[in-house]
Amino acid sequence: MARRRAVAAAASSARAALLVAALLGPTVAPSRALADDAASSISDARILDAMGAGLHLQSVMTRVTGFDQFGHGYQAQGAPTVLGPGSERETVLEPQAEVVFTQGERWTHRVWIPVDVVTNASPDAIDVMSSASRHVEGGSLDWTSTYKASKTTDLSMRNGLHLENPFRSWDSGFAIRRSFADEATVVGVSALEVFDWFDRFEIDGSRHGHTDRNGTTGSASLTQVLTPTTVASVSYGVTVMEGTLGNTWNSVPLSSGVRGPEILPSERVRHALVGRAAQWLPWNGALRLYYRLYADDWGILAHSVEGQLMQRLAPQLYVGGYYRFHTQTGASFFTTLAPDDGTLRVADSDLAPLESHTIGGKMVVDLPLVGRIRAFHFELAVERYFRTNDLQMNIMSCASGFRF
Amino acid sequence: MRPRRPTWRVACLVAIAALLTACATVPQNRRSHLADPMMSLTDEPLDAARRAKLYDTREGAAGGDGAAAGGGCGCQ
Repeated sequence: MARRRAVAAAASSARAALLVAALLGPTVAPSRALADDAASSISDARILDAMGAGLHLQSVMTRVTGFDQFGHGYQAQGAPTVLGPGSERETVLEPQAEVVFTQGERWTHRVWIPVDVVTNASPDAIDVMSSASRHVEGGSLDWTSTYKASKTTDLSMRNGLHLENPFRSWDSGFAIRRSFADEATVVGVSALEVFDWFDRFEIDGSRHGHTDRNGTTGSASLTQVLTPTTVASVSYGVTVMEGTLGNTWNSVPLSSGVRGPEILPSERVRHALVGRAAQWLPWNGALRLYYRLYADDWGILAHSVEGQLMQRLAPQLYVGGYYRFHTQTGASFFTTLAPDDGTLRVADSDLAPLESHTIGGKMVVDLPLVGRIRAFHFELAVERYFRTNDLQMNIMSCASGFRF
Repeated sequence: MRPRRPTWRVACLVAIAALLTACATVPQNRRSHLADPMMSLTDEPLDAARRAKLYDTREGAAGGDGAAAGGGCGCQ
């Protein structure tokens, strides 16, 4: 009996050591060494299997982006005249952090935390934003878990929460990705549901309870390796939105000489078709092309094209320049002076007919390191964005992080 | 009256020809150039996120392509 108890105790301690090794081994090196010593009676294969179930850090990335925006829009109040366009001046500081880690051989987790700090928005407005949006902070937590079901199939789940002063948002989605022909062809489908719950304001600043909206997005994509130096993809997606589809504090100049609230449809169906291609260039460069066709039932038809030219200057360093052009028709009920008759109306400059240009450049460094950290990543990007309807922005973005 | 040139047929033929090139699978050991980060079809995720935020909140043509439309003040 005593011998049986001793064997049982040894087995129990071995199981405990195995558990400790599984939970802590891959991430805490000293603990792993101790656990390995304690479980020395267990076979190497079992130890390796147990360690495979632990957590392994893949990368930690951070990025800070600053936006400095100038411009005017008819939805904003605070212009010298009641019906004139108000200021759209704002500055935005947007830090982001991303952690990617694996759990065992099949699970990969991505935790993404973006934060927005908006200051100076609508500085002259007489609406609610005259106080609230002078300093708005918002943040999100987004967690995506990907399960490698087989060598060719990945399943992903995504859940996120967004918090902002007068605003809450939840999103949840899934995606399936399957590769064919030795990963030369990749097909993916995804679905995403977003639910927003936020304060409803009158344009004079009075709070009027809460309201909500939801959006459902479905998309499908195909990526194909065309040649040893060319890869391309095409994707299509549709988003159906319902509920309060404005932010409720935007105003519209009325022909009666005052301002009224936006009157928007309660539904919106949006379609987007996107094509991408990347071509390797013989002088250690790359050309990336992007095209997006967008249409919705509010009457907006948009085309966006972008070209990025990259040049590798050293094994650890490349630079790039890019230009994006966007053109859109306005919403069918966009106006800068609406009749006071209760028909659909919006004066938001984002929904106006417009053209926009983005020109920018970036420098990317990936320094290989020794030890557990595989590489140090650093990136600096500078951009200028300007629209034909009086909006300009200077953008600077800096990223750094480690790959393990 | 001159018959209309079937330009859409030419476009379809070009598209089909482009797609047919995919029928010959490029082996893994010939894809070294494609592995370069410069050749990624999408931007690095945090870069893509900040660019998506920029355009989604300033152009009324967001959504429909797998990204969330809406979220945050100022979005429609």
